[in-house]
Formats: sequence, structure tokens, C-alpha cells
Amino acid sequence: MRVFAALTATVLGAMAPAHAEGLRYNVSGFAQYTVGKVLSGDEKPYSLTGQWQCPCAIANWEYVGVYEKSQGAQADQESLIGLQGTVHLSDSLSATAQVLARPNNFNFRPTLDWAYASWSVSDQWTLQAGRKRIPLYYYSDFLYIGTAYPWVRPPQDVYGWPIYAYDGVNAAYAGQWGGFTVDANVWAGGFTHKNAPYNTKIYYGSPTNERWKNIRGAYLTLTKDEWNGRVMLMQHRANTWTPAQGTQPETVWVPNLKTTIVALSLNYDGANWLLRSELNRLKQSVSKAQYDYYLVGVGYRWGDWTTMLTQSNYKTLDLGTAFGNPPLGIEARRSQSLAVRYDLNKNWALKAQYDVSKDRTTQYDFFGDHKMLSLSAQTSF
Amino acid sequence: MNRFERGCRGMVWALSASAALAGPTGALAQSGELVAVVAANSKAPPKLSADELGAIFMGTAKSFPNGERAVPIDQKSGTRPYASFYQLSSGKTEAQIKAYWARILFTGKGQPPQDGGDSAAVKKLVAANPNMVGYIEPALVDGSVRVITELK
Repeated sequence: MRVFAALTATVLGAMAPAHAEGLRYNVSGFAQYTVGKVLSGDEKPYSLTGQWQCPCAIANWEYVGVYEKSQGAQADQESLIGLQGTVHLSDSLSATAQVLARPNNFNFRPTLDWAYASWSVSDQWTLQAGRKRIPLYYYSDFLYIGTAYPWVRPPQDVYGWPIYAYDGVNAAYAGQWGGFTVDANVWAGGFTHKNAPYNTKIYYGSPTNERWKNIRGAYLTLTKDEWNGRVMLMQHRANTWTPAQGTQPETVWVPNLKTTIVALSLNYDGANWLLRSELNRLKQSVSKAQYDYYLVGVGYRWGDWTTMLTQSNYKTLDLGTAFGNPPLGIEARRSQSLAVRYDLNKNWALKAQYDVSKDRTTQYDFFGDHKMLSLSAQTSF
Repeated sequence: MNRFERGCRGMVWALSASAALAGPTGALAQSGELVAVVAANSKAPPKLSADELGAIFMGTAKSFPNGERAVPIDQKSGTRPYASFYQLSSGKTEAQIKAYWARILFTGKGQPPQDGGDSAAVKKLVAANPNMVGYIEPALVDGSVRVITELK
């Protein structure tokens, strides 16, 4: 905790744009201190890896943040601090790096989540190369910028894959078409995550790698007045494998399968009322694995307060051999949440969220049902 | 100290830090009258609607409606003119504007407008740069700048 406080205090003093020898640079950042407590839930063992004692609640799939009732209130599962530095080499060229540290990731070991060079070709087009988060779903590329959304965390029934970044190139378009504001992006690249926590901790137990090859994706977002719609399509080759260890040979779980992800989103941002919705599908060739997931939320904002009532859901479908042959069952979950946000000032949002989540998995004993309370202080600076 | 107490004490720390950082912005909710100005010799159109002005300051329009490049200049955030401007031009609070730019900044999609300082500094900057547009109190308007939008 002292590290977290010291990092925050240090960077707050140096946020203003600065100049050095003709170069202009900015330092900015974001952080959240989140305390979660599982109030009740299914008392059963976590069967896949034995990693947790349930009642428990998964609150982050990428880095794997899981709250356990037996641990009481926990502040180390989602709290994080991120720093971003941008050097402007000229009016059109810049280089940006973003580093994140979190207590549940090897005790604040920093990770380089973003590192890219950016070239503004024109007022509308920007080319970028390097590492970026994949803009898969509506909140994917700003999943940890808490001040930018109403919940403590976007619904985790939707936001859960082992790969969240890519090394590659992208072309971004921003402009106006008639009365619409357009934000579009096409990207290509790949990413390998060795010992991905998602694989290792949740599903396989032994250190297990994930590689997404030949990623090609595009999204288009149209905004008009209070309405905003987004469509995204991405394809890649998915690989999941546990390397050979001692006498154990390598085990390939997902053998370079063509994967297609489609994501739709429709949002309304009125003076008082808010609507958030997403409808997404992942399909894999050969295994015919299919995941369907959605979220729908209605919110009301008055002054500095926002409240949000949300339902989210995901489920696998028995279409082929991905879940056994014949299928042994499905993995599925449905959750409801009530979130309240208070904007303390322009930099800080205080949030509280109550989740009720029902595990509908039949293939194995998974995280089970839970009720959870979360409190979070979130900032960007 | 058990885990629950640690968690609660941590939250108190976070809340205390938040309060300390709150600064004077809480008193800035009230809106005042402002005008958007460009240089007297600017090629910007004679008038801009509040929506057109808002699009330039939100980064969704990079040019004036007549095609001339537009460079928005903000006043310092946390000041009354800053809060009033966004309340009048887009109906958003300072926290909502900050949240909007946080998303754009941390996803590599752009940067918020340049901070030009107070009204006097913004007027001086805008008067010397034909592509810039800023906002100031009406009483400060003189021959060096031209009013393109009145915000009430």
C-alpha cells in the first residue's frame, strides 16, 4: 500500500506538459483503489485448479482478480496505478508508453501495456505501430480508466480473454460524415502471453501460454447527438498450450484455430438518462466453440451522481467438440449489478457496486454463485 | 490488523487523498457569460454555433466549417471560465469533460486542447495565431480579437 501511495504522490507533482530541448512531453496517469468483499455464495471447491476457496467472485479475467469470502475485504485484487508518457517529436510524430503496476501482479511488478509510435498523416488519419490494447469491445481499450465509465468495473461476463494487447500496426480515422462523428480503426498484429494468468490460474493449473496470431480487426463507431453505435469484427488464429515440464510432454489445448469475434454496441448519453448495451459473439473453427455474451444497463445521472442498473450474461454453446464429445456441459454466468458513482471533483470518482451473480456452468464446478460489495476510488490525472 | 481493517484504512487513505485533491473546483458550478474569440485577421467564419464550437473543443472537428484549420485553446482547468465554458457549450461538468479526455488520452486517440492560461493569456495567444480559437469574458474583447460565438 505504501508503494501505491508513494507512486501516486510522486507523479501528481509532475503532470503538466513540459518542454526539454525542443521536445514536448506529457506525463499523465490513472489509478484506482478498489476494495471488494464477497458477502455470500456457493460453498464449494474451485474444481479446475484448486486455486481459490469459494464463495468467490471473479472480478478480472485478464490478470485474474478473484475475491474470496474467507479473505474478508480485499484491496489487492483490482487496485492499480498506471502512468503514461508521450514525447512529441514534432506536430505529427509522437511516441507513447504506458506502464501499469498492480499488487496482484507479482507485487506491483510493472507491465508495459502500451508502447507505440504515432504519425498523424492528416486531420482524419493516424498511423500507429507498436503495442496497443485490442479495441475488441466497447470498453476493452480503456478497461482500467475507471473515471471513464459508471461502474467499479465493466461487467466481467463480457470482458474476459487471456490476450488483451497486440504488437502490430493500426490506422485510425476520426472525422465527420454528415451529422455523424466517426471513429474507426483497422489493426493487424499478434501477441504471445507466456504463463497467461487466465490460462494458468483459472483453467489449467500449470503455466500455460496463449498466442493469438494473424490478428486482423476493424471497428466503426458512429455518434450522433446522444446516441452512439459501434460494430467490430476481428479474426485471429488462437493457440493455447502447456509447455513440456520434466517428464510431462507439451500439451496443446487450442491448435491454431481460426477465431472470429463480432461485437455490437449501442449507447445513449442523455442529460440524465444513460443506456449501455453490448452484444458479442466468439466462434472458433474445428472445435466449433462459441461464446455469446451481452450486457445491458440503464443509468440515471443527476449532478455529480450517477447510478446504473446492469445485467450481463455469457454462455458457451454445445456446437462441436470444444466442450467434450459428446458435450459434457456448458460454461455460463448471469449477473446483475447496482452501481453508484459520485464525482468528487474533476479528477476523482468514488464508486460503490453491489453484484449478484449466478453461475450457470454445468461442465465443471466453477466460481459458483456470489453476492459481492465493491468500493472504489478512481482517478485520472 | 486483519484484512478487513486494512481494506477500510486503505479506503480512508484514498478518500482523504481525494478530499485533499478536490481543490477549489467545487465552487465553480455556476455558469457565467463567455464569448469565443479568434484573431482579428482570422479566416474563420463570421459566426459559429455552440455545437460547432463544442465539436472543435471536444476534438471531433479539426477545422472550422469553412475548412480553415481550427486549434482550440483552453483556459486552465479548475478555473471558473473553464467550468462555465463546457457547461455552456456542451452541458457537461468538469468531471465529465475530464472523463471524456481520459478515455481519448489513454487510448492513443488524441490530446485535450492546449492550456492557454487565464483569459488575458488566451486572448494574447489567440490574437497572434489566426487558426486558434479561445474563450474569454466579454469585457476583455478588444480590437485584437473577433467574437464568433456568444455563450449564455
